[in-house]
Amino acid sequence: MKHIFQHPPEKLTGRKYWRSLGEFADTPEFNGWLEREFPAGAAEMKLDGVSRRNFLKLMGASTALAGFSLAACRHPKNLVPFTKSSEWTIPGKPLFYATSMPRRSGAMPLVVTTHDGRPTKIEGNPHHPAGKGATDGFAQASILDLYDPDRSRFFEEKGKHSDAKQFEAYLDNLIAEAGDGSGIAFLLEESNSQTRERLRKEIAKRFPQAKWAVYEPLGSDLSEAASAASFGPGIKAVPVFEKADIVLTLDCDFLAGEMTSLADVRAFADRRRVEKAGDKMNRLYTVENRYTVTGGAADHRLRLPASQIGLFALALAKELGVNVDGIATPEGKVDFSPEWVKEAAADLKSAHGRSLVLVGPRQPVAVQQLGAAINNALGSFGETLVGARIPVAPALTILDLAEAIKQKTVKTLFILGGNPVYNAPVNLGWATLQKSVPEVVRLSLWVDETSQHSRWQVPGAHYLETWNDGIAGEGSYTPVQPMILPLYDGWSELDILAKFAGLKKPSGAELVQETFRQRVKPSDFTAAWSKFLHDGFAAQRKESIALNYTGALPKDGFSAPAGPGNFEVVFPADSKMEDGRYNNNGWMLELPDPITKTTWDNTAWISPKTAKELEIGYIPHKSEHEVIELSVGDRKVQVPVFIAPGHADNSISLSLGWGRKVVGKLGQGTGVDAYSLRTIDSPYFALGAKITKLNKKVVIAHTQEHFSMEGRELVREATLAEFDAKPDFVKTMGGDSHVPPGPPSLYTHPELDSPNQWGMAIDLNTCIGCAACTVACQAENNTPVVGKEQVINGRSMHWMRNDRYFVSDSEYHEDLGEFPSDPQMVAQPMLCQHCENAPCETVCPVNATIHSNDGLNVMAYNRCIGTRYCANNCPFKVRRFNFFDYNQRPITPVKVPLLGEVNGLKLGPLAPKGMADTLKMQKNPNVTVRMRGVMEKCTFCVQRVQEARIAQKVKAGASDNVTIPPDVFTSACAQVCPTGAIVFGDVKNPESRVSKLKEQEKNYRLLEYLNVRTRVSYLARLRNPNPKMPDAKKSVAHGAAEPAHS
Amino acid sequence: MANIFPRWSNLLPLKLLICAAVLGAGLTGGIWYYFTPKYTRVGYMPVQPVPFSHKIHVGQLGLDCRYCHSFVEVAAHSNIPNTQTCMNCHSQVQKENPKLKPVHDSWATGKPIDWVQIHKTPDYVYFNHSVHVNRGISCYSCHGPVNEMEVVYHREPLSMAWCLDCHRNPENHLRPPQEVFNLNWQPPAGTTQRNIGLELKDKWNVNPPENCAGCHR
Repeated sequence: MKHIFQHPPEKLTGRKYWRSLGEFADTPEFNGWLEREFPAGAAEMKLDGVSRRNFLKLMGASTALAGFSLAACRHPKNLVPFTKSSEWTIPGKPLFYATSMPRRSGAMPLVVTTHDGRPTKIEGNPHHPAGKGATDGFAQASILDLYDPDRSRFFEEKGKHSDAKQFEAYLDNLIAEAGDGSGIAFLLEESNSQTRERLRKEIAKRFPQAKWAVYEPLGSDLSEAASAASFGPGIKAVPVFEKADIVLTLDCDFLAGEMTSLADVRAFADRRRVEKAGDKMNRLYTVENRYTVTGGAADHRLRLPASQIGLFALALAKELGVNVDGIATPEGKVDFSPEWVKEAAADLKSAHGRSLVLVGPRQPVAVQQLGAAINNALGSFGETLVGARIPVAPALTILDLAEAIKQKTVKTLFILGGNPVYNAPVNLGWATLQKSVPEVVRLSLWVDETSQHSRWQVPGAHYLETWNDGIAGEGSYTPVQPMILPLYDGWSELDILAKFAGLKKPSGAELVQETFRQRVKPSDFTAAWSKFLHDGFAAQRKESIALNYTGALPKDGFSAPAGPGNFEVVFPADSKMEDGRYNNNGWMLELPDPITKTTWDNTAWISPKTAKELEIGYIPHKSEHEVIELSVGDRKVQVPVFIAPGHADNSISLSLGWGRKVVGKLGQGTGVDAYSLRTIDSPYFALGAKITKLNKKVVIAHTQEHFSMEGRELVREATLAEFDAKPDFVKTMGGDSHVPPGPPSLYTHPELDSPNQWGMAIDLNTCIGCAACTVACQAENNTPVVGKEQVINGRSMHWMRNDRYFVSDSEYHEDLGEFPSDPQMVAQPMLCQHCENAPCETVCPVNATIHSNDGLNVMAYNRCIGTRYCANNCPFKVRRFNFFDYNQRPITPVKVPLLGEVNGLKLGPLAPKGMADTLKMQKNPNVTVRMRGVMEKCTFCVQRVQEARIAQKVKAGASDNVTIPPDVFTSACAQVCPTGAIVFGDVKNPESRVSKLKEQEKNYRLLEYLNVRTRVSYLARLRNPNPKMPDAKKSVAHGAAEPAHS
Repeated sequence: MANIFPRWSNLLPLKLLICAAVLGAGLTGGIWYYFTPKYTRVGYMPVQPVPFSHKIHVGQLGLDCRYCHSFVEVAAHSNIPNTQTCMNCHSQVQKENPKLKPVHDSWATGKPIDWVQIHKTPDYVYFNHSVHVNRGISCYSCHGPVNEMEVVYHREPLSMAWCLDCHRNPENHLRPPQEVFNLNWQPPAGTTQRNIGLELKDKWNVNPPENCAGCHR
């Protein structure tokens, strides 16, 4: 049973992780010290007054600290109350606002916690029909963007400082001279804001010739074209997972929010909750080129190059009796067996009206159209697929706009949001086109690639700073309301559009109110508006939209299949950067990718077989990755390779959103820009890619190097049939049968005498490994970002990690560097298990980690002396040590005389100290911000536990009712979970949800034989394979059939 | 060979040892006494921008604590009253008193008054007022006889040991809920604080946390 922990490597190669910032180097030394938290491009230095103020602030802070060093001297501190009471405000109590986050797939309903007027944490809106209280990692991390010190702060005209007044004057003048608007064009991001639509109509009335174009690099243009052909314009089909027994996805990562809302993800997961033997669950077939979280959750997964998905769809359609004779089929060898298609088709057919086929929005229109034909053959329409209205009218594309620019008909171009210079198709030559437009007005949150070629740079307002609205996933009208005034007096796109619509720049909610007014009876307005803001959505009239399938089939448009010598390169959305918009977000940069566990970089994923053929090696444990030159046509990039088990052969995946050139401090030098390979004709995958070995290696920061569980059966799984036959299978695994009944402990433990005892159950069957919990934990618990170099050294600070295991029959041979090419994948959230017999507590020499009487393993940071014995003795490796002062010292390079650029952390006390004021605003005031030399770990959100406990005692007053009722609060990770896989609660109360889960037969605890008595338990993963499928044995072979061993 | 060291030097090591021991003991004792909150905090009595007298307002006029510290029963913080609260009376009373100039200025300009903090726990301590006052712990237990203070001063050390004294033996401080804000309360004749405390502790299931997480998060 001895576990030998392999420490991550300490030595680094000579590679530089952080590229220097040109602008940064130009500044004088002391300015570099002073301004290290400020953006390179934002000309903070140029404004003498602001610099001096910051300088004085810094000096003031250090003088104050000098005062503290004199022992026994009391430094007076002031308490400053408001002058007048402000409504709802109780000092020290948070306020909650219902709002939503504008997303491409619709508004994501949220409830935002604010402390003293500062938004600090984002949660899902539990009352909203779209989402049911869940959020995802992007929504969690978006709060950090609000406080990003690198945000655009000033109005700039031709690179010089300006202000809102001058900009408004410019705008007024422009509007006055605009005539019919023929020289004016808008380029916007996708949004289903109804107020924006309303303003668009107003603008069209006043300026009929003004152009309105929308561009998104990962937009819905292909899927909208396909649904227009299949169902007529303005209508799309949305899945109803509640009714779907069999789901087949073709290159569609729907669990990561592609095409779906979180309510859909929850609905899918609800169909996988098996409580007892005999319960039913749905079945998921996934066909994809690379592992995604959807593939990880699948019961059957087929790895297939993206270019062969169309051929697979054709084969499937043929099996299902769709007449595909008229379709031109490209020649080429395919990598799927006819048997797989046949059996999958038979299974889908057997569930007529209860099956569903989803084709990803990145597949060609023809394939998506064929998907509609397949669904039609399966009788899905009206059952598992229902109609929905696209709430926004079609607009010009960026190609139309480019054409207009070439014709010289655009005089003034408004680029509101987006970043086309970075992410437009590379052969469009957008940067050149943009430069040829006489005047470009740019509104954005950051000074980025596009801002550089603009006359005006207007600081944008974050969605937590502005009024707006939107349509949530299931169609309800949802507000976006601000929690805070714009930090840098930023404008929203509605502000600019309002000017064009002949209105004043709104000072409040008036624009959205006007839109809302059109939806309610005038007499109800005030009450309805308050309710709308309070609830976070307007109750909608149920409108059923029929899906009238046109039966249109494509003639051609199917890609030739990738094969040996004809590699394809696929450009998926990045799991953390999305399309690149989170590229300066520290939480997202450091979040391990759900599949590769890579942080701070993107890599080219290739299959082990392809790697072997190309003689590309990978040395485990050293995290060294070979760099290749990847070229498509005459465009090439140099990118490190990640050998990805489960990846399709002859296919390369390189995610978008990295390698930004003009970006804030954190995003500098991270990853490789995949947009530089992406053209108009092949936006999502391109054939004919070539790989050249460069004989160069770089170090990539991973958080999980191992692919096996060292034979300890931390994850336990079985097939549904095995579970039905033997519901207590988990008890025969992982040495559990050898656990002596209630072995005594050598140590004395405090009485667990609190009326509430906290515990957690994690259902591995519904956990998809999306890592939203990791980000939520980071946001809630003030966990610092440590930087790539520290992650390589194994010092990432995440309290909650998401272990990803590949499962296969063949062993992983470390020495040979051979990976199984087609393993299954499981995800396991791992956090402090809150052992009742905690091994960490017994070794702490100073009693800094102890047990509370409600079953929490708690840390007293101010007592910790940093021996790290506890981390050594933790069987789960969930303790994190602050090797450096991550909160106070820069994790970015600092210029030092003679030495050049040095990572700020390594300079210790010589590095500039202090956190950016804006970042301080994000911190949760109820959680200590830890400093150097202190051990930390998951606390089971002790601040929430204590808050609930105090609230209950206050309520009890002069009575003995001090027991917290079940499920009145939950931990941050459980609250965010899109699938509801994590459940936190009172294990002493049999009525709580967690107690009910723990009673299930597939509940097990990790390393039970160590007698650590963990408070976190897991529910075994179940797979539901179709026994007729050729790959059905894969799931069975490592399941419960295996005898128990210890 | 002549003696290099004179005879008196034989005793030198011993003398040095004794000196060091005395010095060490003195230093330890000094730190023990002077570097503790009992010495460094108790008695701290800063000058406030407005010479507000709790003795007059509470002791003589009989204002309830909660008139100004209005959120003490619902929030972790016991709020410092805002200028508006002062002006509820002082827009009528003592309008011309020069001592009240900062209050009137604040009301006129909207700039808040910078009160000087007296009672302070370290940043890593999460003290909650509401749970204490709702469960029978009087203001008096931590702040002393504020109703008799012309100028408020720090009366108790507010050190961790001091907190734990009460968390371990809450019966020494528990009182009936209606007497929590009565700073003059004494146990009725014929009974003692301890008797009342023990009875309430049992009746209300009072079990204050003694583990770190109770106050440190």
